[in-house]
Amino acid sequence: MVSTLTRSERQAAIGVSVLVAICGLAFAALGRHDVLEIHGFLILAFGLLCAFAVINGYYEPEPTDERLASYYDAPIKAGIALSMAWAVFALFIGVWVASLLAWPNLTFDQAWASFGRLRPVHTTGIIFGFGGNALIATSFHVMQRTSRARMPDQFSAWFVLIGFNLFCLLSVTGYLVGVTQSKEYAEAEWYADIWLVIVWVTYFILYVRTIARRKEPHIYVANWYFLAFILVVAILHIVNNIAVPVSLGHAKSYPVWSGVQDAMVQWWYGHNAVAFFLTAGFLGMLYYYLPVRAQRPIFSYRLSILSFWGITFFYMWAGSHHLHYTALPHWVQTLGMTFSVMLLVPSWASAGNALLTLNGAWHRVRDDATLRFMMVAAVFYGLSTFEGSFMAIRPVNSLSHYTDWTVGHVHAGALGWVALITFGSFYTLVPSLWKRERMYSPALVEVHFWLALAGTLVYIFAMWNSGVIQGLMWRTYTEEGTLAYSFIDSLVAMYPYYIARTLGGLLFFVGAIIGSYNIWMTVRAVPLAADRGSDIPDSSAVAVAGE
Amino acid sequence: MPELFHRKLERSTIGFVLAIIVVASIGGIVEIAPLFTIDETVEEAPDMRLYTPLELAGRNIYIREGCYACHSQMIRTLRDEVERYGPYSLAVESRYDHPMLWGSKRTGPDLARIGDKYSDIWHVAHLTNPRDVVPESNMPAYRWLARNDLKIEDLALHLATQRAVGVPYTEDMIENAAEDAYGQATPDSDAASGVAERYGEETQIRAFDGVATRLTEMDALVAYLQVLGRLTDAAYEDTAAPQKPPEPVE
Amino acid sequence: MDIDHDTLVFFSKSWGLFYLLAFAICVLAYTFWPSNKKRFNKAKKSILDPEDKPWQ
Repeated sequence: MVSTLTRSERQAAIGVSVLVAICGLAFAALGRHDVLEIHGFLILAFGLLCAFAVINGYYEPEPTDERLASYYDAPIKAGIALSMAWAVFALFIGVWVASLLAWPNLTFDQAWASFGRLRPVHTTGIIFGFGGNALIATSFHVMQRTSRARMPDQFSAWFVLIGFNLFCLLSVTGYLVGVTQSKEYAEAEWYADIWLVIVWVTYFILYVRTIARRKEPHIYVANWYFLAFILVVAILHIVNNIAVPVSLGHAKSYPVWSGVQDAMVQWWYGHNAVAFFLTAGFLGMLYYYLPVRAQRPIFSYRLSILSFWGITFFYMWAGSHHLHYTALPHWVQTLGMTFSVMLLVPSWASAGNALLTLNGAWHRVRDDATLRFMMVAAVFYGLSTFEGSFMAIRPVNSLSHYTDWTVGHVHAGALGWVALITFGSFYTLVPSLWKRERMYSPALVEVHFWLALAGTLVYIFAMWNSGVIQGLMWRTYTEEGTLAYSFIDSLVAMYPYYIARTLGGLLFFVGAIIGSYNIWMTVRAVPLAADRGSDIPDSSAVAVAGE
Repeated sequence: MPELFHRKLERSTIGFVLAIIVVASIGGIVEIAPLFTIDETVEEAPDMRLYTPLELAGRNIYIREGCYACHSQMIRTLRDEVERYGPYSLAVESRYDHPMLWGSKRTGPDLARIGDKYSDIWHVAHLTNPRDVVPESNMPAYRWLARNDLKIEDLALHLATQRAVGVPYTEDMIENAAEDAYGQATPDSDAASGVAERYGEETQIRAFDGVATRLTEMDALVAYLQVLGRLTDAAYEDTAAPQKPPEPVE
Repeated sequence: MDIDHDTLVFFSKSWGLFYLLAFAICVLAYTFWPSNKKRFNKAKKSILDPEDKPWQ
């Protein structure tokens, strides 16, 4: 890793690491009477570790100018490895929190092991750890390939990747010791939030600089989605997390927003985190890796443009559907509902575009589990966006809100869409990135596919059932006009489904372990691909590019 | 010529970035901007009290333990919810909540009006092991709350920060924050009298965890739970079918 | 002008609609502009090019 950095980049890396370590030391000193102390030492250790890693390789020979004739792939490889590691970790926590609902004594009387603290570890680990690393890695790959340009330097990409993982680490360890803002999917405290802004701005600058170096005049549509993901997540993150820390020595902060404004800002953030983190970025993956794997151009490029602007526009209005029948003004609820329903159009346009791309290549979908991952992901994308629009309709929401149906919906999206498209993209990317002939074991890809699909289906069917039953029990009246069930009656009815969902999660978790093993063995044991003709620069193409 | 071409390329990237920002931010602005003037339309609640330092500390424990992941604090305007939990929640009731804790999931019941519904001792028993009082419950046990001493020395800083974000704590309240936290859970001490003076006669002053000699996290959390829905009676007055707030349990 | 709640709500409700219409027209025009057709077709096929080197 260090050998691919130039001498001046190595110096910059050491400088930044030491700076991070000093900040850590400062936090440890200022926060010595607070939980902030733990994070201070963690940041200090992280910075020192990075500095030592670079110093260790400091005197390795510098890379030659030959590097400029190839893409810079080292951070992409690291990103894939980190993403899979987070997936295994966070899915394990997911199975654990799912079992806690059925067997609440699994906390062993430890504060850090209770549901309320582990749940954000699971959600952050999946969304940011697994999803975020996957997005960073694939976006680095796609931006270089579609621009036909190497990224401008070697350091920025590492800063983004490692810095982002420091953010994930701070968030996840923070929840375990009780550091949280309580804002769902934005639980990390102020210092981690500020750090993420720095990382994110670097990410954005790197992306734009690479795009600006492009040799293709047109920016391929996948980059649009990645750019929207980076930009809008920055806006959302900053607005939602404006807070005043109790002091520089306290981990705790109080958000400037309160009550109904806070609710609106939070769910504007929450819903658009789904839109731009979990949808736009992964659509970027879909629009690149699906055509590449199927070896067919996207069905309609124009449709992909229309759905891009549709999604970018409509999603921003939809957040208030999380607050139906609450103290939020009625017209804001109506606006959110209307736009949520309209969102179905661009969403289905994307899903349909993906599936129509495969039209004529169904035999390959049948034979190739990797392509099938992506095909099923597109189907789940279509299903969960339909479900989402449906649940945003006020009367439907009166039944579904606060129940497990919402949880099932989220997992239809997270497991069925986000995770499956990521696995499909990784199985496409890994052999080509490490220049292997193929994955270590196509049979294991097949096994992973069926475990993932079975796990997802078991999970969402369990949650649909429990959610609808719960919602109905809460509103059932006796003939005398009194409520028929106490709250605890509805909880008792949930237990079988909580066990079923744990089982579904377990299947998915086992699949991810098998996938990680397969990727590991591909890198380790599969021979290098014979030098393909394509790896030799095509003189005619180079001439065209020089225009 | 190549120079010009290159500049055009860069310009198109920046234009594209601007387009995304403009398109994506409008929806949020249009929806959120009017909420900043919402105070003009929100119900009046002149009787609204502030969280005492002890209740605020309890609220922070509620946040720390992630209680919001399973309990909402927002009763919707639906018949079954009003009958199950009490009058629907008004915007004014969470006016000073930084952050709001409306929640999104009810693995357990709504807590917006849990205050005064159960006795302190029930809450202590329930938090120590929920299955002792509700055998079917799947809530985790929070035994460490009674083991941990409550940290009160920096409560003044917390109140000052709350004031910085808009909660009208007075200088007097901030100065006496730590003492008030102690006093509220120690009714026989000298510190107890100042609490009612600063935060109103309706403030509940008692040994919430049943042990007057020690101030624990259990005291704070129970004090917070017991004040939920009790900061103002506005919700009981403005509804179509007025209801009476529950009588405090002995 | 006095900016009160009603003004803002009115602005949100009315202007939002016109903005949506104008925006839709722009996007449709860009997407279906005849001279863009060639460029889109090229972009669509270019990612299938097996070449794996940056152009210099």
